[in-house]
Amino acid sequence: MKVVTGVVGNDIHVVANRLIDISLQARGCEVFNLGVNTSLEEFIDAVVETDADILLISSLNGEAEGWCRDLQFLRAEYQLRDVVFVIGGNLAVGEAKDSDIVPKYKSYGFDLVFHQVDLNTGLDALEQYMKDRS
Amino acid sequence: MNELLIDIGSTYFKVCSKEGISQHFRDFKKNIYDDLNTKCADILSKYAKEDTYICSSANGGLSTLIIGVTNSFSLKYAKNIAYNSGINIIDTVLYGKIQESKIPSETLDVVIIVGGIDSVGGFFDEKLFAYLKKLTYSNIVYVGSSKDAHYLSENIANLKILSNIITDKLKLNEGELKEYLTNLYQEDIVGKEDIKHLYDITSNQIYSTPYIVNRSLPFIDAEFDVVNPFIVVDIGGATTDIHYSRDLVRDNMLTESEYDRLVFKKLGVYKSRETLIHAAKNNEFVYELLAYLNVTENILDEQSEKALRILMQLSIFLVLCKVSRLNSVYVTLKLEQLKSIVLTGGITKVLTHEECESIISFFYRKIMNLHHIPTIVLDSNYDIWTLGMVQQHHQRSETCR
Ligand code: B12
Repeated sequence: MKVVTGVVGNDIHVVANRLIDISLQARGCEVFNLGVNTSLEEFIDAVVETDADILLISSLNGEAEGWCRDLQFLRAEYQLRDVVFVIGGNLAVGEAKDSDIVPKYKSYGFDLVFHQVDLNTGLDALEQYMKDRS
Repeated sequence: MNELLIDIGSTYFKVCSKEGISQHFRDFKKNIYDDLNTKCADILSKYAKEDTYICSSANGGLSTLIIGVTNSFSLKYAKNIAYNSGINIIDTVLYGKIQESKIPSETLDVVIIVGGIDSVGGFFDEKLFAYLKKLTYSNIVYVGSSKDAHYLSENIANLKILSNIITDKLKLNEGELKEYLTNLYQEDIVGKEDIKHLYDITSNQIYSTPYIVNRSLPFIDAEFDVVNPFIVVDIGGATTDIHYSRDLVRDNMLTESEYDRLVFKKLGVYKSRETLIHAAKNNEFVYELLAYLNVTENILDEQSEKALRILMQLSIFLVLCKVSRLNSVYVTLKLEQLKSIVLTGGITKVLTHEECESIISFFYRKIMNLHHIPTIVLDSNYDIWTLGMVQQHHQRSETCR
C-alpha cells in the first residue's frame, strides 16, 4: 500500500508527522512523507507521481479547514476517484464536536476523518476501511 | 600570476594578465579570433598556449521546453536542474493540459520529458506524440519513470533516456540530467566555429563563463567583504545571471550543489536591449521607478550614456523582481535574509556604487517593504571571474597529478 502523508498548510508541528511515518512503515506501507508546510496541490501532485492508494493529511494548528475546501475540485481535475483521502489531528480551533466536524470534512471530499483521535486507533480504522473496500 | 585569462562575452571581451585587466568592445565585423588578435596581439604573444585560459559566454545559452506530469514534482525538479545547468526555459507544459498548450515558434535546443517514480508507469500516450510533432527541436531527453522509457523510445525518434530525476522517495536526483545539459551547453559554446578557432591560442579546455563564476562562489566570502547569504548578479550584454546560495531557496528540495544559478536570457543591456525594455514596460513599478530616478519613459528610446545607465539600473531592478515573491515562475529567493549583493559584469564599469545602492534600496522599500538593505559589493575589477578561472585551473592540475 502506498501512502502520501504530510502536514497541511503553514503548520509546522512535526512530531505527529514523524510518528505517522514510522507507524505506517511498521504496518508495511510504502510512505512518501512530504513533511510539514505542505500545500494541497503538493499532496495531490505527489499522489499522481507515485500512484498512491492513500493520501493521509494531518493538521495540528487548527487551520485545516481553510486549506481543504479546494480538495473536491483538485480531486476531480486529476481524476483520483480510487484514492482514499484521510485527515486527522486537531481539525478545528478550540472545542468542537465530532458530530459537526466529521460531516463537514466528508463534504470536502475526505473518506475518513479523525479529529483528536489517537494515531493507532485511526490507523486501525484505516486498515479496516481498506480491507472492507477490496 | 603567470597565466593569461580571457573571457569572451557577447559584447566585449576582457583579458587579464600580470599587467592587469583590460576590456575591449567586440567588433562584430570580425570573428572573435581575428578581433582578439588585432586588439591584443602584444599580450597574446607573451603567453604560451598552456598558460592561456579562455572562457566564453558569447552565445547566451540553450533553450528548453519541459513537459511534466505535475507542477510540484516533475516540472519543479526539471526546472531546477535546467536553471542550474544554465539553460533557458522557454515554457513548461503540464501533461494533463498538453492539448491546450501553446506551441513555441522558435527551435528548441532540447525538450525534457518527465513524470512518475520508477515503479509507476502509463503516464503518457498519443497526446504527447501529437504535441511533439508540432515542435522543432534539436535534442529530446526523457528523465521520468523507467517503466515508461521503453514505450516512449519506441514512439519518439532519437530519444535520449537518462536516470529518473525523481527518486523512489520522491526526492530530486540531479545527477545525469544536469551532466547531460551542462555538456550540451558546453558543446554549444565551444562548438561555435568562432570559438573553436580559439584553440589555436590555448591548449586548455574552454569553459562557459557562468560555470567559472559559479566555481568561485564558495570562496567569495573569504576573499571579499561579503557576508553569507549573498547573491552574485552578473549583468552582461545579452544575459543576466543570478548565482545564489541554496539556503536562500524557499523549498526543501534535496540537492548536492551549494550554489544554484538562474539565467535571464533576455535581460541584457546591449544585445537584448529590446526585450529588456519590453520587460521594463510590463513591470507595474517601472514608472514609479523612472520617476524616482528623475527621468521619463522617453529615456528608454534614447541612445545615450545616460540611457545606458538607466537601462542597467532597470535590469538590476527587474532581475530582483524576478526572483522575489512578485514572480512565481522562477525560483523565489528569501531576499529578506540576504546579507550581501555582489554585482559583477560590464555593469560595474558603468554604474557607481551610489547608483546601484539607490536602485536596490528602491527595490527593498517598494517590493519588500524593508528599509534596511544588504551591503552592496561591486566587483569592478572582475575578481570573481579571475578567482573562478584560477580555481578551475588549480583543481585541474591537482586531479592531473
Ligand atoms: C509542541 C507544540 C508546538 C511547537 C511545535 C514544534 C514542532 N516543530 O513540532 C511550537 C511551539 C512551534 C508550536 C507552535 C504553534 N502552536 Co502548537 N503545540 C504544541 C503542543 C504543545 C504539542 C504538539 C505535539 O508535538 N504533540 C505530540 C504529538 C505526538 O501529538 P499530536 O501533535 O497531538 O498528534 C497526535 C494526534 O493529533 C494524532 N494525529 C495527528 N495527525 C493525525 C492524522 C491522522 C490521520 C490520525 C488518525 C491521527 C493524527 O496522532 C498523534 C499521536 O497520537 C500542542 C498542544 C498539545 N499538548 O497537543 C500545541 C498545539 C498543537 N499548538 C497550537 C497552536 C495554536 C500553535 C500556534 C498557532 C501558536 C501561536 N499562536 O503561535 C503555533 C503554530 C505554528 C505553526 N505555523 O504551525 C494549538 C492548536 C489549537 C487548535 N488546533 O485548536 C495546540 C493544540 C495548543 C493549544 N491547546 O492551544 N506548537
